[in-house]
Amino acid sequence: MTAMTTTRAATRRTTAPVREREKPRDWVGIGLWLALGVTALIWFVPMLLMFLTSVKSKTDINELPMWGLPTDWAWGNYASAVEIGNLWVTAGNSALIALIKVPLGLAIAAAAAFALSRIRFRGARILLALIAIGSMIPVQIGLGPLFSTMLSAHLLDSRLGLVLPYLAFGIPYQIFVLYGFFRSVPEELEESARIDGSSTFRIFWQIILPLAKPALAALFVLDFVATWNEYAMATTLLISQDNYTIPLAVQSFSTQWGTDYGPLNAFIFMSAIPVLLVYLLFQRYFVQGAFAGAVKG
Amino acid sequence: MTTTDARTGARGRSTRTVPPHRRFRLALPYLAPALVLYAVFLVYPMIDAVRLSFFEWSGFRIEKPEFVGLDNYVRLFTSDPVFWTALRNSVIWVIASLLVPTVIALLLALGLNRRMLGRNLMRAVFYIPAVFASITVAAMWRWIYNPTLGFVNQLLHAVGLGDLAQSWLGDPQFALASIFVANIWQAVGFSMVLFLAGLQSVPLELVEAAKLDGAGAWQRFRNVTVPALRPTTVVVVILTIINALKVFDLVVGLTGGGPAQSTQVLALWSYTQSFTNHEYGMGGAVATVLLLVTLALVIPYMAWSMRGDES
Repeated sequence: MTAMTTTRAATRRTTAPVREREKPRDWVGIGLWLALGVTALIWFVPMLLMFLTSVKSKTDINELPMWGLPTDWAWGNYASAVEIGNLWVTAGNSALIALIKVPLGLAIAAAAAFALSRIRFRGARILLALIAIGSMIPVQIGLGPLFSTMLSAHLLDSRLGLVLPYLAFGIPYQIFVLYGFFRSVPEELEESARIDGSSTFRIFWQIILPLAKPALAALFVLDFVATWNEYAMATTLLISQDNYTIPLAVQSFSTQWGTDYGPLNAFIFMSAIPVLLVYLLFQRYFVQGAFAGAVKG
Repeated sequence: MTTTDARTGARGRSTRTVPPHRRFRLALPYLAPALVLYAVFLVYPMIDAVRLSFFEWSGFRIEKPEFVGLDNYVRLFTSDPVFWTALRNSVIWVIASLLVPTVIALLLALGLNRRMLGRNLMRAVFYIPAVFASITVAAMWRWIYNPTLGFVNQLLHAVGLGDLAQSWLGDPQFALASIFVANIWQAVGFSMVLFLAGLQSVPLELVEAAKLDGAGAWQRFRNVTVPALRPTTVVVVILTIINALKVFDLVVGLTGGGPAQSTQVLALWSYTQSFTNHEYGMGGAVATVLLLVTLALVIPYMAWSMRGDES
């Protein structure tokens, strides 16, 4: 990245006069920019409409076009949405699940990826392949049996019970990505640590794991977003409203109170705030890290 | 997966001097939590779904599952009126997902790989829908498609095309396509980010060299960018196929499979048979078909992905 920027800067300095002359003729660049800008605007419209609806009164929604500004800004919709959608309880459930599931899942996946990539026992690759396939199987295939299993284990309709299948469906992909990272750590590093008398656990904890920080950060963000947004398993395994997670609350809000468009759209907005925050704070990890690791090349 | 071969050159590695059976014993504590969770909550439900497909069971615990052999499959293929629609819709969804959002994502990535004003803002606008929950996207788009107050019909009326206004989700002719439009909006960002990451691996020296040799933009794209993007493209394609086979939340949130089952897909039909119709056996049979389709597509990819990583 740095190397690229330096090259670019150098090129620009040497070719500056040429560029000046070429500039007015860069119609391709301008056309491209316009095309991308228009597309971006189209992509932005649904979000804008949701926001405008979320601050309109019932009358405004019925009488104004959807893109019209509200005559009076009905910020009260947000307060009613919090109340109708039981926002604090459901957001609390989602946060509880995510804050247990995401770090625990990463730790379990990292340990397994370490064993598969660094201890190199017989059959490690076949085991990795069998695990990786699990990351690609649609969860809906197992929902029926999962329901029965959780019922027999008395874990149905329990937030902590939901964490177990979440872990099982989250770790395969993480193992797959971390395996690639751990494999690329030079053997010599591990070697010299072992000569210094480090145990296998110390090698895992103090050498391999810190080197995989970018991948771990990226996986953390991806997994947080995926966990916060998960719907299919939650709707199967949670029954009582008090255990609902955010996606279940959105769905029940829109089926039960679907005509209360103002509060509904306010609720939709608020439900996405945590993932938007995580995205904005850790944006750079999306492009770097795990994706580079997931892409063979 | 980037795996620089670090093993060549290293000699007498300590883990290597440990005999194989002891090495597995060493690995077991690290593997055990993952393997137990994976076996109990992922592999077992999958196998059990296949097992259930040979039984007739309402799912109620007071009733014992009754073994019926291949009856569920015979019913599925000959007399289930929805299965073929669901299979067809799933296939359409896979093909359309490979064509439309993937191509848009590639074009956006190529465009946004250039330095230009507002590049990061545009990237964010395209990516943000991908972090919304699908069920939330469904709620958003149901509002956009609302027959009277929704954006689409209001816009059509405003520009004088009021005749084209439809009940987008209520008409079997348009419902699936309408859901797919919402899917395009959501799916483009993720593939775009993958393509952008892939474009980082395009060797700049080669681009410069090709420029000096007088290669035009198209030739540079064809001979430098395309080969460099090949591994990324394989990943995008497999992820797109998998996500297309999994599509569930959007359909549940927008139409629930209706009107008249016209937007039914395999993942949802399996769920509906088990939980709504209390036909666990039929649900299992649909799940088995979905599992076989998935494995047929995923196993070749895994073979490719593991290649070149020999011990």
